[in-house]
Amino acid sequence: MIYQRLMTTTAFALAAFPALAETVTIDLWTIDRPGEYHYVMAEEFMKANPDIIVNVRSVQFEDMVNDLARAVSTGDAPDVTYIDNPEVALFASRGLLLDMKPMIDASSVIKTDEIYPGPLASVSYEGGIYGIPRGANTIALYYNADMYKAAGLDPENPPKTWDELYAAAKALTKPDEGVYGLAFSAVGTEEGTFQFLPWLQMAGGDFNNVNTPGSVTALNLWKQFIDEGLASPDTLIRGQWDSTGTFNAGSAAMSISGPWELPRMSEEAKFDYRVALLPAPSADAPRASALGEGDNVILANTDQPEAAFKFVEYMYAQMPRVWNEFGYMPAYPVEVADPKHAAAYAVFVESMKYARNRGPHAEWPKISKAIQDAIQSTLTGQAPAEQALADAQAKIDGVLGQ
Amino acid sequence: MLRFDRVFRDGGGFDSLLVMLALGYLVVFSAFPLIYNVIMSFQAVDLFSLASFDRPYVGLDNYREVLGERVFTPIFWNTVQFVGLSVFFQLTIGFALALFFQQDFPGATWLRGLFLAGWILPGLVVGAVWGWILAGDFGVLNHVLQSLGLTDGKIFWLSDPSVSLYSVIIANIWLGIPFNMILLSVGLAAIPADVYEAAELDGASRLHRFLTITLPLMRAQLGAVISLGVIFTLQQFDVFAALTRGGPSNASNVLQYWAWQLSFEEYRIGQGSVVSVLMVLFVIVVALVYVRSTRNEHAG
Repeated sequence: MIYQRLMTTTAFALAAFPALAETVTIDLWTIDRPGEYHYVMAEEFMKANPDIIVNVRSVQFEDMVNDLARAVSTGDAPDVTYIDNPEVALFASRGLLLDMKPMIDASSVIKTDEIYPGPLASVSYEGGIYGIPRGANTIALYYNADMYKAAGLDPENPPKTWDELYAAAKALTKPDEGVYGLAFSAVGTEEGTFQFLPWLQMAGGDFNNVNTPGSVTALNLWKQFIDEGLASPDTLIRGQWDSTGTFNAGSAAMSISGPWELPRMSEEAKFDYRVALLPAPSADAPRASALGEGDNVILANTDQPEAAFKFVEYMYAQMPRVWNEFGYMPAYPVEVADPKHAAAYAVFVESMKYARNRGPHAEWPKISKAIQDAIQSTLTGQAPAEQALADAQAKIDGVLGQ
Repeated sequence: MLRFDRVFRDGGGFDSLLVMLALGYLVVFSAFPLIYNVIMSFQAVDLFSLASFDRPYVGLDNYREVLGERVFTPIFWNTVQFVGLSVFFQLTIGFALALFFQQDFPGATWLRGLFLAGWILPGLVVGAVWGWILAGDFGVLNHVLQSLGLTDGKIFWLSDPSVSLYSVIIANIWLGIPFNMILLSVGLAAIPADVYEAAELDGASRLHRFLTITLPLMRAQLGAVISLGVIFTLQQFDVFAALTRGGPSNASNVLQYWAWQLSFEEYRIGQGSVVSVLMVLFVIVVALVYVRSTRNEHAG
């Protein structure tokens, strides 16, 4: 009798045990720090799904690609991570990322046709979808309305074409007061390519076709800005954050940068600052803008693909919150209740329609370097724009294998 | 016949054990990475094949590519200028300061301590501070020069290709003076005072005393400081990363920064290894000079 009782209780205990041990663990690598996006998402997701544990680890932005490549080869890569837009193609081409298309097609949360074309292009590779944008950003033209009025320009009518931009910059430059008309960045890093690519694209070229008459015009216009003193020569070695710092201080009347500037600008800029779309070569030319931010990806050798995808789905669904809480633009059109910096936000949302990805190409860093070299050698006067862009095209052709 | 454990405790075995430990550490942490680097320079290395040893052998292709790069010659000469000017000015200014502080005056030790600030600060901090000083539009240096009437317009220290390298050299000289000053002070202090007194009694002027007593007695010290200075200057990366990142269009690019760009920005790791191997060859020559100069110290 007692023996039988013992057997039944043991059987019940053994049956209950596996049910308790069903917790699944996924590893997340992020460039965020505690309190920022991924940490917040992980906590909320874990509360909503008690059977999934998310281990979050912070990695420096500059080291992400190197650390990830190393971890994949040594076998201790995470399940979910965040990588910058141009790098998705690099990892997808090596088969290191999970193709989420089958799971997306079956999902009721993620709909790829609602994502803006730029971010969608950045995560697509040879028919598969290898990432989900966590947000986006782009660039636009900030301008100082007070300086516009002082110079006799109409702040309700910001420049819409390159000629208007040049004329406005000329009118706003005051060398005696140390004020430049325009601030942007032509630094010899990815930021320089990020700033120049929209100009190149609006003039009819792209990363694989840099040697067009329009690109020569664009690059020569940049050179004109610097040579005529409309923009500081330090533009060549300064990033966007520092260049916009001069705008905030009143040393530049206009600045080309992105929405990440708004928190600092709202505190430091003591003037009426406004935002307009990037000027196009002419009134009927196609618009383009840069695409920044990055994507949530799942590694191909994950052993928890369903849990990882559930987490990515959850983050996708939080898109209406990313602007107000984290400062990213949404990657698909959402209704944002009471957005911060509403006027600027509206312009950036409009800009997102034209935001185009860098690449995508698996060897993007080499292509970017060719473009940076062309920008720098033209702006320093080492080579004319035609020569510099021809050299860049030759290098890019080498990378593209043509 | 010594017993086994006594060999290790007292005898020659103990000495060998200590040497083996030091050698073992050097082999693992210095020799192995060095040899690995040399091997990588002969292979086609990719970001994703870093962890495995099995990579395609390409012979001297990487070397041919690097030496054939259009930017190789300007970068090489930039490096020569960087090292030459940095070491020369660090040495002369450091030596002058060491001689100055040799004379005891009130506050000498405190003032000398202040000069060490440059050595204590991390390279990136030094770069950031100098970045603000050398900024073209709002930098302190331009403001001072214009106020003193030495220049008319603004000099764009960091973005003008003709001066960007020299701006980095100025920041690097400031960074390296304390090191030279300290080592040369030690050497100066080792010269006995009675030698100077005897020479003074014989009627030698200050300059004559300096040339005939100080310099010859400091020869080993100077050799060591110059060799170490060259080696450390060739390793100087932080200042470039913080100030110009290779400068407008490679105007202030040097071999060590270029090696990093090749390996970690363009992911051309094979070529990055080639540049570092070339630098190692040069450093070996300099290190030989250093070892010879310190050997002379014992022969006194």
